[in-house]
Amino acid sequence: MSGPTDSGGAAPQRRTLWQAIVDDHGPGRLVLWIPLVFMVVFFLIPLALTLVWSVFERTMFWMEPGFTLAAYQDFFGSGRIDSFLGSVKSAAVTVGVAFVLGFPIAVFVRRSVPAHAQHQAVLLFILPFMISEVIRLFALRPVLGRNGIVNDLLMSIGVVDEPVSALLFTPTSVVIGEVLSFLPFMVFCGFLAMEAVPDYVFELCDDIGSGLAVTLRRVIIPLAAPGIVAAAIFIFVNSLGLFLVPDLLGGPGAANAGTLVVNAIAALDFPLAMAIAAIMVAMMVVLLLIGHWLFDLTKLLEPFR
Amino acid sequence: MSHDYESRWVYRAKWTYLLSVVGVLMLPVLYTLWISFNANGFGAAEYDFTVFWYVELFNNAEIRTSLGWTVLIAAIVVAVTAPMGVLAAKFYQGTQFKVPFVFLMLSPLFVPADVTAAALLVYFKNLNGLVDGLIGVELFDLSLWTAVAGQITWCLPYAFVVILVTMGRFRPEQTEAARTCGADAWQAFWQVEFPQIRPGVFSAGAFVTILSFNEYVRTNFLKGGFDTFPTYLVSYMLNTGMTPEVYAMAGLVSLVSMAAIGLVLVVALRRRIV
Repeated sequence: MSGPTDSGGAAPQRRTLWQAIVDDHGPGRLVLWIPLVFMVVFFLIPLALTLVWSVFERTMFWMEPGFTLAAYQDFFGSGRIDSFLGSVKSAAVTVGVAFVLGFPIAVFVRRSVPAHAQHQAVLLFILPFMISEVIRLFALRPVLGRNGIVNDLLMSIGVVDEPVSALLFTPTSVVIGEVLSFLPFMVFCGFLAMEAVPDYVFELCDDIGSGLAVTLRRVIIPLAAPGIVAAAIFIFVNSLGLFLVPDLLGGPGAANAGTLVVNAIAALDFPLAMAIAAIMVAMMVVLLLIGHWLFDLTKLLEPFR
Repeated sequence: MSHDYESRWVYRAKWTYLLSVVGVLMLPVLYTLWISFNANGFGAAEYDFTVFWYVELFNNAEIRTSLGWTVLIAAIVVAVTAPMGVLAAKFYQGTQFKVPFVFLMLSPLFVPADVTAAALLVYFKNLNGLVDGLIGVELFDLSLWTAVAGQITWCLPYAFVVILVTMGRFRPEQTEAARTCGADAWQAFWQVEFPQIRPGVFSAGAFVTILSFNEYVRTNFLKGGFDTFPTYLVSYMLNTGMTPEVYAMAGLVSLVSMAAIGLVLVVALRRRIV
């Protein structure tokens, strides 16, 4: 292609046209708007419209404009709200477990691992995260099942005499599936938040001899709060929607918000699906706004400025 | 050991914990991989190594077709998303409204896949009816392109962040110098900045490939009348249960992902960009 990159040989007219396009005031600068426009058209508007569609009238196979709260009545007045609240509980437990298991790793990497190896240590967590969620979730069935690897292990070291069946098709297995899916995010976000904290802060804590508990509570957690909050919201909202988990791990009758949406679509009840979607989006927006208001989540982006 | 006050054993114990957490996260994947090479399938008393189940996969025409669709979609998604990631990062650097822009770009990560997919499905159905009524063309009928659009909303945030991180290491003085020397904005970008952020664009492309290759929920909602490998795998699994073929399909996906990540890490480590 004869662009401006090759210095000779390009047809002069073409260069002029090209130069007019890439000129500081030319139309070329408009391409920078493409990602923004794309996200508005294919993400922001569809999600905002869920609120509108959720009050439409349901027809046999589709929906038509109107105003009715039938979908919301259907959601709040049926067993769906119980399933939803059950999945809220699992998601909250998942956030707690992910924090307890994952955040110490972020602290350890930031404080104790040599500077040049920190990113590589965190990158280890990319590996499980990048493998298909579908695979990781359904792989849990042979792992957690009655004759799976965990029970084999527990029996061979003599912890239990017979297989533990509570590991699969229970709320516990749902939490296990969610934690295994989202734990890396606590490590990433926690580390990202602490990366902006200079080393001398940690050294100072050691120098003045503050204990681990005090350092954690008064220094590390406040400094890492934006990362923890971002990870917590991410894990909470995504746990509510994690597809296949109730089907694969949850046992009979298990459902979360994602399953409810999918089932509503499968039943061609589009207003109901849109109502649940609108509730989820509203929840996400409120949580993010509260998180941002309390902890200024943009601190996470300091390294990119 | 950078930490003066910590004993060597505590340090080692912490590394052991970190590695064992990664191990536990990987355990289900490696376990299914191990089973997938067993001629006798899951739960058998004897283990006979075989690639028989994998050969079976490739003898199945439906699976070959679904792999073709997966590769095609991934190729289109990468070709669109990697340049868009660069544009988004450039836009972020130039805009005054950094916070709203970042919230918009990253918000797809904070909405569950089912919700985005359902909203997009209804959106495309409405849009299709609207456009069909106006010009008589079913432009937004569920197809390859709706699936691609759905996947891009999911992949773009990752590409954006990866490229932004790499761009953060580029010194803008170099662009100013190039401009002072008479380069136009495009030349300054393409000849000075791009060669330096190329590893980031490459990593972003690799991540997007993996994300697209593994994407299930959005694709399942938005695809036309075809199957990608993940949608075929899930429907097969839900219909037939955990057969040896399912293990082999899962193993194939894991192997492809691991190979891709391995490639990225090797390149990244050799170029010292992580």
